[in-house]
Amino acid sequence: MFRYTMDCGTCETAGPVQVMTPEVVNVQLTISNKAQEMLSDAFGDDRSLALLVGVLSGGCSGYMYDLQIVEETDQSCQEIEVDGFRVLVPNSSSHLLDGIEIDYVDRLMGGGFKINNPNAESSCGCGESFS
Amino acid sequence: MPRVAYNDAALTVWRGKDSLKFIDGLSTNKMVDLKKGEVRQTVFTTTSAKIIDFATVFHMGDFLAILTHKSNLKNLLEQVLPKILNQDVNIQDVTDRNSFWIEYQEKIGQIGTFTVSEGCTRANISENFSIAVSSLDVKLDSDGTLDEFNEWRIENLVPWVGHEITSKNHPLAVGLAEYVHPAKGCYVGQEILARMISRKRQGKILIRVANNDVNEKFITTRGDSHSLAIVRENQYPSNSLS
Repeated sequence: MFRYTMDCGTCETAGPVQVMTPEVVNVQLTISNKAQEMLSDAFGDDRSLALLVGVLSGGCSGYMYDLQIVEETDQSCQEIEVDGFRVLVPNSSSHLLDGIEIDYVDRLMGGGFKINNPNAESSCGCGESFS
Repeated sequence: MPRVAYNDAALTVWRGKDSLKFIDGLSTNKMVDLKKGEVRQTVFTTTSAKIIDFATVFHMGDFLAILTHKSNLKNLLEQVLPKILNQDVNIQDVTDRNSFWIEYQEKIGQIGTFTVSEGCTRANISENFSIAVSSLDVKLDSDGTLDEFNEWRIENLVPWVGHEITSKNHPLAVGLAEYVHPAKGCYVGQEILARMISRKRQGKILIRVANNDVNEKFITTRGDSHSLAIVRENQYPSNSLS
């Protein structure tokens, strides 16, 4: 008979594993001229939209960049204005994103937005993942 | 069915809606489609595709119970905790509340599922191998020895943490290729493993070999007449990826 419990061995009274939360950094970032052009195309005239620059776990190197155009987000973010664009950076990943340059590479294969990150020790071949 | 204590086992409970996706991005097997009542094994790897730990993941419905190893737990948590970021993932260590057992040699239930009876949760890992987790108030006894279990492992080419599954090796070298999903997408260490698979070159391989047929330094588990050994694949090409 299936019962999806592990009896008392996994009850919720066990303490959580302590996660060291990194210090929130006031992010400074730049956007290359080519990336600004492409973002202007993407945003159109609606500058109420924001570029969310985040980080997810995974990818070949442990972290993956996450770029989205959003109206709002429920993540705790810092909002900065860069070259007329509204940019949102989640506080939880601010330590990984301070000093980045958002660039755009114009080529048929492997092209698109790229992040040049001085904090990255290594990155994977496609450039979407870093550690 | 012989049963031996699994003394190096560690158990953590992972809660939160992002837990499966989180594990999927950090380990080699496809985990995002794991369903309630299923169990699946996966390998946490470094960016250089070296093993951090070999994990058995139980989908308990509202949480995941992940059996790893005490000897690797600190390193595993150091690798995964900084990557939670703003995802909904909470981890509890419940190792001390449970005892762990290996049962082997006899045919068991449906592979990839687990059953719970009399306070004991049994994961059916392969045709004749299961891992049992019981809370401390449930009394189970060993009726086999570790040496006997190791002989069974050698006979069945089953790698084990601390012997073959170590931080010096990548999953393919220790016989864990079936836990490296070929098409799941990016995960930590994927570039290196994908290159090995596509080129059919993995460097080292796990073999079962007569004790006198291999240099002692390659032996990872020694048995009475045969051993498990990790050797260069060009020395034993028939055992390589095909």
